[in-house]
Amino acid sequence: MEKPVVRKTEYKPHTYYDYSLLFITLILVCIGLVMVYSTSSYYAVKQKFGNAAYFFNRQLIAAILGVVVMVIVSKIDYFTYIKGIGKKFKIRLLFLAYMLCIGLQIYVLFFGEEVKGAKRWIKIPFVGTFQPSELTKICVILLVAYIVYAAPKQLDNVFGFIRVIIYVCPLLALVAAENLSTAIIIAGITFLVCFVVARKKGYFFVMGLLAVGLVACYIFMGEAFRGERIDAWLNVETHPKGYQILQGLYAIASGGLWGKGLGQSMQKLGFIPESHNDMIFSVICEELGIVGALAIILLYVLLLWRLFVVAVNARDLFGSLICVGIMVHIAMQVLINIAVVTNTIPSTGIPLPFISYGGTSLVVLMAEMGIALSVSNRIEYER
Amino acid sequence: MTWNKGKPHRILKNDMGRVMRQITTKQRKTAIFVISVLFTATFLLIGRLAYLMIFHSEEYATDAKELHERERSIKAARGIIYDRNGVVLADNKPVCTVSVIHSQITDPERVISVLCDVLDLSEETVRKRVEKVSSIERIKANVDKETADYLRSFELDGVMVDEDYKRYYPFGTLASRVIGFTGGDNQGIIGLEVKYNSMLEGIPGKILTLTTAHGTEIPNAAETRVEPLAGNSLTVSLDVNIQRYAEQAALKVMEAKGANHVSLILMNPQNGEIYAMVNVPEFDLNDPYTLNIEYAPKEDTSLSAEEKNTLLNRMWRNPCISDTYEPGSTFKIITATAAFEKNAVSLTDRFYCPGHKIVEDRTIRCHKVGGHGSESFVDGIKNSCNPVFMEIGARVGIEGLYEIFERVGLMRKTGIDLPGEASSIMHKVENVKAVELATISFGQSFQITPMQLLSSVSTIINGGKQITPHFAISAKNTEENTVKTYTYEGETGLVSEKTCETMKSLLEAVVHDGTGKRAYLPGFRIGGKTATSEKLPRSSNQYISSFLGFAPAENPQVIALVLIDEPEGIYYGGTIAAPVIAEVFDEVLPYLGIEPEYSEDELKMDGIGTFPVPDLVGMSIEEAKKLLKAYEFGDVYESGEGTVITEQFPEAGEEVKKNTNLILYMK
Repeated sequence: MEKPVVRKTEYKPHTYYDYSLLFITLILVCIGLVMVYSTSSYYAVKQKFGNAAYFFNRQLIAAILGVVVMVIVSKIDYFTYIKGIGKKFKIRLLFLAYMLCIGLQIYVLFFGEEVKGAKRWIKIPFVGTFQPSELTKICVILLVAYIVYAAPKQLDNVFGFIRVIIYVCPLLALVAAENLSTAIIIAGITFLVCFVVARKKGYFFVMGLLAVGLVACYIFMGEAFRGERIDAWLNVETHPKGYQILQGLYAIASGGLWGKGLGQSMQKLGFIPESHNDMIFSVICEELGIVGALAIILLYVLLLWRLFVVAVNARDLFGSLICVGIMVHIAMQVLINIAVVTNTIPSTGIPLPFISYGGTSLVVLMAEMGIALSVSNRIEYER
Repeated sequence: MTWNKGKPHRILKNDMGRVMRQITTKQRKTAIFVISVLFTATFLLIGRLAYLMIFHSEEYATDAKELHERERSIKAARGIIYDRNGVVLADNKPVCTVSVIHSQITDPERVISVLCDVLDLSEETVRKRVEKVSSIERIKANVDKETADYLRSFELDGVMVDEDYKRYYPFGTLASRVIGFTGGDNQGIIGLEVKYNSMLEGIPGKILTLTTAHGTEIPNAAETRVEPLAGNSLTVSLDVNIQRYAEQAALKVMEAKGANHVSLILMNPQNGEIYAMVNVPEFDLNDPYTLNIEYAPKEDTSLSAEEKNTLLNRMWRNPCISDTYEPGSTFKIITATAAFEKNAVSLTDRFYCPGHKIVEDRTIRCHKVGGHGSESFVDGIKNSCNPVFMEIGARVGIEGLYEIFERVGLMRKTGIDLPGEASSIMHKVENVKAVELATISFGQSFQITPMQLLSSVSTIINGGKQITPHFAISAKNTEENTVKTYTYEGETGLVSEKTCETMKSLLEAVVHDGTGKRAYLPGFRIGGKTATSEKLPRSSNQYISSFLGFAPAENPQVIALVLIDEPEGIYYGGTIAAPVIAEVFDEVLPYLGIEPEYSEDELKMDGIGTFPVPDLVGMSIEEAKKLLKAYEFGDVYESGEGTVITEQFPEAGEEVKKNTNLILYMK
């Protein structure tokens, strides 16, 4: 008897690739390069022996590297990271990355390059510096997605969530020791990815309310418990630590509707210290006005929307959760950065994704986008 | 692409044959919830941003602009001070300020060497300032214009010369403690310069340039210039000529009597305008930080900064208003006024002075040891007899005296428009016993300022009108429009008309043939009172001789007070102070348009009045000499040889003053 012929061509899915996501990313990176040049050139001339393009060049190299990494990563199946390798002892790549991150975070605590009182960088000869906490973010996104993907039902009660936290905790604690703001982002990613998966969400709301209550107490209970940052936030115009934020506010407010024009910022001329870093958005507002600022925010909104679309349509839960993680990561950084710059929340050092100066951050973010693209690449659809 | 909605999930298996889960509808809804929250947050932040950029824009933008602009201030020209006739007392002269802008210096070594040479500064100071990293650093202020122009000719990069004004006092030492001077910041330090600082100083202008946070000017950025507003000019009641007469007279007596210093005030007793206020030795207003002859150390000793500062402050003090003293006999004017006001004495009352008066257990002596014997009240005041005044003081009582003190303004400050006025130091009324009452009656055991004495006597002789001694008359802006006219209101009727008239005639009598007779000036009716105050402690035997005089006695137009501090030798006020006032009045009264009117008696006296020259031509010398005995010529010179007078000078019929010399030509 002949076996019936199974027509393999009966169901032929078309592979998908989210080009919108790719191009939005590239546009943001380009805007970032322009703004980094605009904001850093004055500082670069002052600090780096007259080379106005010093910071721009470094950022450009990081961007090119980032594009290469993004394209390569987007072609790798994201299941590769959780597949066991080796014949006898199956070791998952993700596990290796996890251990590597812990190792680097411990290393940086002891041997890190200290910049302005914070040990966050590892010096690499001839290349520059590397910030392991950025790598940790991507690792946490994959780790949380994997744990949750492996056993989503466990999250229906609070103990399942605690189990996830136990995995994340070593990294979280190590990051928090030197860089509280990155730790907040990592905690946010963990929390929200679990929140999306859990079928019973009561305990999340309880925990959320608890956190909000604690923060409120911390802020409003009185001077004695309040940190300097809170004081500076509430009295930005008089507090000495409020200087940078106040200068940012001056920049934002002097932008008006259309801005002073690209390159015309006054505040970047030494008034805002290192305006190419976390404060870059204030200079964007000053030079491009509210119109330019809104355009950039709109680009972020589109980016988040594409990540959301990829997440809900992903072939599998693992891919969905990775995208949710990436989406939360970028959204939190954008929101916190803009909120800090506009003095909506107390000051904390979070760079604006794709735009702020910083090589590690840019390459890691573009690698994340590569993973998101690879998730989109697995979406199968019918014509 | 489709949304898999409603479609049953396909069961996918991975390479290892495990079932691959897909996202469930519920999880998808949660994801929608999450992204909605994120977008809402974004939306709120956009709102915040719009609020900052649109509604807060102006406020923050203004602050930011201020931050970006470097301000170079342009000094406003300070108002000029004029005397009552429009003579300039305080003026501005252009000077320059030299500064360096660190970021613009291209050749620091050359800048340092040129600045050292031209400005005559030590290399160390210049180097420190040139090498200091700051937006602008001042090297030297008050550089005169020629030096500045010379410096400009070097065309050094980063060296800036700003035109500026410096206060300049054309008369130097004249009325130094009254006019005062200013510091480098255009602020008055003493005198009228402080009191009317806000009127004089003007509003400084500024030049605004955009700079980076490090102070470098941004090329091609527009400069904003806010022009300065010059200060208002001030016209004061001082009269340079009167001040100078007074100063000369004061200097003369200071040198003659070897006194520490001499103060002299001339004022209009009707309205309180001060014509002159002299305190010799004065100091140089154009060089106020150099000690004058009175305060400079006698030996060549160096002073510590603190010591010098103390001495400078003492030198700058105006003793007429800031120092108090025991007025002594001049104060008897007040006591007498109180007695008349309280009807405690009449002119015909008789007193007996044995040379002292016993008050309780103390014997208080009169200045005339033998006593004045029996005398009327008029004689009492002419003789300045202490027992008489102790007696009438006791009759009035302390409440009555203090009431009059209050009325004539001795219990408060005069309100003169100069800083640093002192208050009088008086016993509390409940502490005044008979002894204190007696001493107060002739001007001891309390302290007042010379200005207070002058002001209160003015009230007595001007018919009971309260006056405020003052300098400022009016302020004008640069367009010559009057900005402010200074008026001084005062109560009237503080002393009765009758008392006023009595006091004027009594004080005239004092000068006419009493202790003040050395202030007598033929042709003028002068009233006054002498005083010799013992300085405290009394054992030091140091005195202040003073004389208070006014003229014309019937309608006083000018009142004067002279104080001679620690004269050597004869120290009686009547002897040394009264002639000073006579000398000043001799010049000032005609200057003020008060012409002498000689009385019959005065005309009879030597050297006063005029007579017509007789015709001597044709007479022999003997005849002429006989005739000339009836005339009061001075020296008679004979010229030529012969015995017959052919010519004479002055010619016959001419009206000449007595004691005029006569020249006779003979053949």
